[in-house]
Amino acid sequence: MKRARIGLLSIICGVIFIMGLAFSKPVNVNAAEKVYEIGTDVTYPPFEFANDQNKYVGIDIDIMKTIAKNEGFKVDIKPIGFNAAVQALDAGQIDGMIAGTTITNERKQKMDFSDSYFKTGVVMAVAKNSSIKSYSDLKGKRVAIKTGTAAGDYAKSIQKKYGFTTVTFDDSNNMYDDVSTGNSVACFEDQPVMQYAIKTGAKLKIVTKPAEGGYYGFAVKRGKNQELLKKFNAGLKEIKANGQYEKIVTKYLGASAMASEKKDKSQNTFVDLWNQNKDALMGGLGQTIILTVLSIIFATIFGVLIGLLGVVPNKLANGFSTTVIYVFRGLPLLVLALFIYTGVPNLLGEKIPAFIAGIITLTLNEGAYTAAFVKGGIEAVDDGQMEAARSLGLPYGKAMRRVILPQGLKIMVPSFINQFIITLKDTSILSIIGILELTQTGKIIIARNLEGFKIWTMVALIYLIIITLLTWLSKWVERRMKS
Amino acid sequence: MSAKIQVNQLQKSYGTNEVLKGLDLTVQENEVVVMIGPSGSGKSTFLRTLNKLEEPTAGQIIVDGHDLNDAKINMNHVREKIGMVFQHFNLFNNLTVGENVMLSPVELGKLNKQDAKVEAKDLLKRVGLEDKFDANPKSLSGGQKQRVAIARTLAMKPDMILFDEPTSALDPEMVGDVLAVMKDLAKDGMTMIVVTHEMGFAKEVADRVIFMADGYIMEEGTPNEIFSNPQNKRTKEFLNKVLNV
Repeated sequence: MKRARIGLLSIICGVIFIMGLAFSKPVNVNAAEKVYEIGTDVTYPPFEFANDQNKYVGIDIDIMKTIAKNEGFKVDIKPIGFNAAVQALDAGQIDGMIAGTTITNERKQKMDFSDSYFKTGVVMAVAKNSSIKSYSDLKGKRVAIKTGTAAGDYAKSIQKKYGFTTVTFDDSNNMYDDVSTGNSVACFEDQPVMQYAIKTGAKLKIVTKPAEGGYYGFAVKRGKNQELLKKFNAGLKEIKANGQYEKIVTKYLGASAMASEKKDKSQNTFVDLWNQNKDALMGGLGQTIILTVLSIIFATIFGVLIGLLGVVPNKLANGFSTTVIYVFRGLPLLVLALFIYTGVPNLLGEKIPAFIAGIITLTLNEGAYTAAFVKGGIEAVDDGQMEAARSLGLPYGKAMRRVILPQGLKIMVPSFINQFIITLKDTSILSIIGILELTQTGKIIIARNLEGFKIWTMVALIYLIIITLLTWLSKWVERRMKS
Repeated sequence: MSAKIQVNQLQKSYGTNEVLKGLDLTVQENEVVVMIGPSGSGKSTFLRTLNKLEEPTAGQIIVDGHDLNDAKINMNHVREKIGMVFQHFNLFNNLTVGENVMLSPVELGKLNKQDAKVEAKDLLKRVGLEDKFDANPKSLSGGQKQRVAIARTLAMKPDMILFDEPTSALDPEMVGDVLAVMKDLAKDGMTMIVVTHEMGFAKEVADRVIFMADGYIMEEGTPNEIFSNPQNKRTKEFLNKVLNV
């Protein structure tokens, strides 16, 4: 009984420790110089995309940075994806977002918009060799749209009238690919984005006139960061007046800029692409490895504690353990990540950095699986072992430590190895909350160069190599333990 | 002679299944009590309540004058003095033979490692296994395992030992070695309660034989009384079955 209580106490301490970690960082940042965190899309050229050097550029980025410089504040641009940015803004995880966001009445419920900085319209694009010319050709066909975009909303609004089905994508490239490979017959996109994509390599053509003229605005959470909004509006006026705005737009939509990018693309071999992107990919891999190692450490500690609580002779501890395993094993990792990153801060009114949220997510999820097999491993040790130890006068804790655990651990070793590999793979899911690990790095590179096949092949190979190394290491440890 | 164990009206149920239905028994110091009876009669359960591997449902157990119902009693200390030998040996699979014997005296601070090692070697010699000190339990035969288990129990210098069918899981040719060790213990004056189907052992070694059936003690007496002149009808039936095979 006493031991169970100590165990429970240490779990609570552990959770508080992790939470402490989570909250200590943003407080420090706030105490120093004010830096606004601005969310943007992963890939929405020409508004935001990574250039050859994997630096974020684009109309949105340049406008934001120019205004910040002129008005004297600092910004930290976070390419976390359009949907994630909307949620992160609502959760207070970021201060503002600039991501080709069309100003709509619905969005005004949750966001305060700046004056519009760009006028656009929705166009439909089809594969280069497609015979589709107008909306009426879409009957019974499938159309690709991007989640949460005004262009997507427009497609949905005319969906019934023209009788087509839709499939949604999280970023533009996957949507373009779906059309160019023929899975879908058409996609809807904002005009400048579509134009830019086609000029830089998307094998599509625009077949309609711009519809539903929309206006892009910079957004903050409704009622929050009004000072930032004011500065943006003032800055926008200034750059429109002094010509900086015109320069930025011409830089990305002017014919000369695009011609050069187009030329680069056609010559890319596998080796070229590797040389261009190896630094970015290795950076992503580094982040993946750090995430994996930290998550494995925390998940193992958490899992072993919860697993032990599941076997001690105390009903309360057993119930707690069962519940924790049930909840965190039952939740999809993706849901858990979004819940912790965008759900919890909403409730607490405190930011949780993506990296910390990622570690907590993996700790809880992988830890629940670990707890389940730790519990199972201990239970698999013959009851007679415990009885014999107790009959000799050994207290429960000593019997556990000296007789049961050493035998249980041996049973668990293969499960631990398996779990380490799963943890490594599961870090890729954290790309959803914008952590720049290997998968997210791959996404961003592809957003720039549209070389989906070659880059994903590289990413896949890197994962396989690392998993092979991890497996060898684990087998080596396993053999050492056996002998 | 004083009472080592006194049991009053001991009951044990699993849900609605009554296994022990009110047992009374007194065991004196140096006494060897052998319990016989058909499978499912509650012999093993009774034995396991004596060191509280099973929690009794009702009744009283007094060991060396300590009432086990007393909340202040440290069961670990009581268990140190009551050895137990199991049907399936239950040697610690993660330890060598020597470590099995040394574990509890060292863990409980009775002996330091050096002394425990000397002691363990002595005990293994006593059960005829001095050459197995560094062996893995898995490499032993059943009879050897059981003798190691007895040595492990003796390492705690118990006042009494409970034997729960110690030879039932053994090949016939192994039984004799284990029984010989037990006979030696009896001769040295160890208080023993033995649940067994070895009627020869009961006849030869027991001071008292107890026949259990259906959760009751049906009859008790000297080996001569029980085996030559049983009074209870159930005892007669049982002995008929096991002796005339």
